[in-house]
Amino acid sequence: MQVDDGRATETVQMEMLLDALPKGSAADPNGLALARLIAEISNKKVPVHSFSRIWTLGSLQAKVTAGYFAYWLRSCFCDAEKKQQLKSEAHLAAALQLFGTMGYLRGAVMKVGQMLANLPEVVPEEFAEVLSALHFEAPPMHYSLVREVFLDEFGREPEEVFASFDRQAFAAASLGQVHRARLHSGEEVAVKIQYPGIARTIKADLRNLRLLLQPLCLTIDWQDTLAKLADIERMLLMETDYAQEARFGKLARSVFTAEDRVIVPQIYDEYSTARVLTTEYLHGCHINDFLAADPGQGERDHFTTLLTVATYRLYYRLHWLPADPHPGNFIFMADGRLGMIDFGCTLTLSDEEWIFSNQAIQAALDRDLPGLNRAIARACRYDDPGEMEPDHLEVIRSGFYWFMEPWQQEGLFDFGDRAFFRRGIDNVIEAARKGYTRSLPMTIWSNRFTFGGRAFCYKLKGRCEFRKIFLQESSWLHNSP
Amino acid sequence: MRISEQAKQENRTRILEKAAEIFTVKGFEDTTTRDISLASGLAAGTLFNYFPSKETLAMTMVTEAFDQGREDFLRRCTGKEDLAEELFLFVASGLRRLRPLRPFLGPVLERSLSPFPRKNVCQEGEAARLGHLNAVQKIIGRHGFDEAPDYVAMTMYWSLYLGILAYWANDPSPNQEASQALIDYSIRMFVQVISGAGSDKGEADAG
Repeated sequence: MQVDDGRATETVQMEMLLDALPKGSAADPNGLALARLIAEISNKKVPVHSFSRIWTLGSLQAKVTAGYFAYWLRSCFCDAEKKQQLKSEAHLAAALQLFGTMGYLRGAVMKVGQMLANLPEVVPEEFAEVLSALHFEAPPMHYSLVREVFLDEFGREPEEVFASFDRQAFAAASLGQVHRARLHSGEEVAVKIQYPGIARTIKADLRNLRLLLQPLCLTIDWQDTLAKLADIERMLLMETDYAQEARFGKLARSVFTAEDRVIVPQIYDEYSTARVLTTEYLHGCHINDFLAADPGQGERDHFTTLLTVATYRLYYRLHWLPADPHPGNFIFMADGRLGMIDFGCTLTLSDEEWIFSNQAIQAALDRDLPGLNRAIARACRYDDPGEMEPDHLEVIRSGFYWFMEPWQQEGLFDFGDRAFFRRGIDNVIEAARKGYTRSLPMTIWSNRFTFGGRAFCYKLKGRCEFRKIFLQESSWLHNSP
Repeated sequence: MRISEQAKQENRTRILEKAAEIFTVKGFEDTTTRDISLASGLAAGTLFNYFPSKETLAMTMVTEAFDQGREDFLRRCTGKEDLAEELFLFVASGLRRLRPLRPFLGPVLERSLSPFPRKNVCQEGEAARLGHLNAVQKIIGRHGFDEAPDYVAMTMYWSLYLGILAYWANDPSPNQEASQALIDYSIRMFVQVISGAGSDKGEADAG
């Protein structure tokens, strides 16, 4: 916590902010106007030196991210007439103020800010790190608050519900935290508890944010942005619905057998509610601890294989995109099994999305260029590839080719290959810089699914026979009843 | 006719029960002392032998709930809590006991606990305030504060607490979970202020 010498820190921060912010071409060549706007808003409404009780986005990183956000939004209305521009500026300022109070985005915003400040020199390791941190935080709950949640949810104290219950959380979860406990029947369990009222807060914030942004611009791309914002809201709210997560967990558990060496923990319904989720506790470690023990290539490949089988089993059997790439969701168990926990952020593809997704994959596998172009146009919300600028089509298509590389290679595919991962990132950055972001909302999820998985395997420096796994898992398509 | 102490106690308990029922159905404002007398099976004037006014009657329920809350708090307190945690437990335990009265509590608290200068100070309300603040001072004292907090700190606390009560009385969220978050933030803020962890400078900069 920073409490002394606030003024000096403030000056330094302003300079850093100026350095980090994007610069507009004509109207704001030094980025000064933007920096002033951001600093003004965040200094006034978000006390930067204030203490932890006020759980806001006060850091420099958050301001940098807000700066990019503002810069990007402004570019949407810079051609508008003067009067409209002034009105839009007012809405933008209000939206940024609101953004500054959305404390549960803190972790995500800081990470994105770090990455944006380093563009275009972002390195694969950083990219992987940023992806893994894109989740939503809640303020930590002390034990008295946990007890109140229990009284409301179960009518009893945690020690009465369980034979034993750890006062200290052992992990942070999206919008809550996880405690270890033991059932009266002896089983060890992990109890995930949600911060009270956070779902309502998020819902209200995002609705207000959309309302504030609505009048800024009315182009098709703008509508696209609003549609995506609505999808992000959906994603967030899914993460707050523990009852649904429990249903997802049970389904996921049902598609793996002991031979698969993939385990999804058992859900204990009688100890779960919409805000508390109790599951079997899996003994093991997360990726960083696993890597710290310097595992051999064989072990790395083993877990890469299991991870690939696990995610594509869910895709082909259940039509799911498990879109939360958080590394805490995977447990490396000492007996060689892979534990998969937390299904809060899982998209079930609609029939239409499912057919479309497989058509695109098939077109790429068959090297059917016209078919692939049609699929890409559709993913970018055009009726026909002819409506797209050739460069736009080209950039998105090369991204898809990158996605499909492992599918087409016989034998081991090396996900630890830095050059391969780098190409994927470069494509994303190129698309973002050229403004080729218009797409179906489901692409937010499929990108998170793809990049999340690949970033994880990159970090693992693991290899697997991807094509063989794909053929094995997709055979379900042809053999399913 | 003289009645026994036991019968008096029974009458008093019955009045409180019936009043709570009627307040819940009709609201505090629209309930008359006559309604309560009738429901309790007492002559209209007899009620006043027990409670001098409708406000006192309602505030008695509040005080009793607070007392029970304080007992719950002492029972639940493990001694391992830090200051913020213990204060949270104290406030939350009180509100939990107050919960059954919530449907009609708004106007009762407004009349009895209003911090603004008034002609008729509700004695029950004043006693509840002093009892609450006394308990808070004891909690603070247990956490290494040798001197009693001054009137500024305690006024701040009481303002925060009244704000919590007002919000909680109207909180539409399930189990008043939004209020729980508000208590959490408010208490963290109060503890931070009396601990001196938030510097004047930072606050000044924050504007």
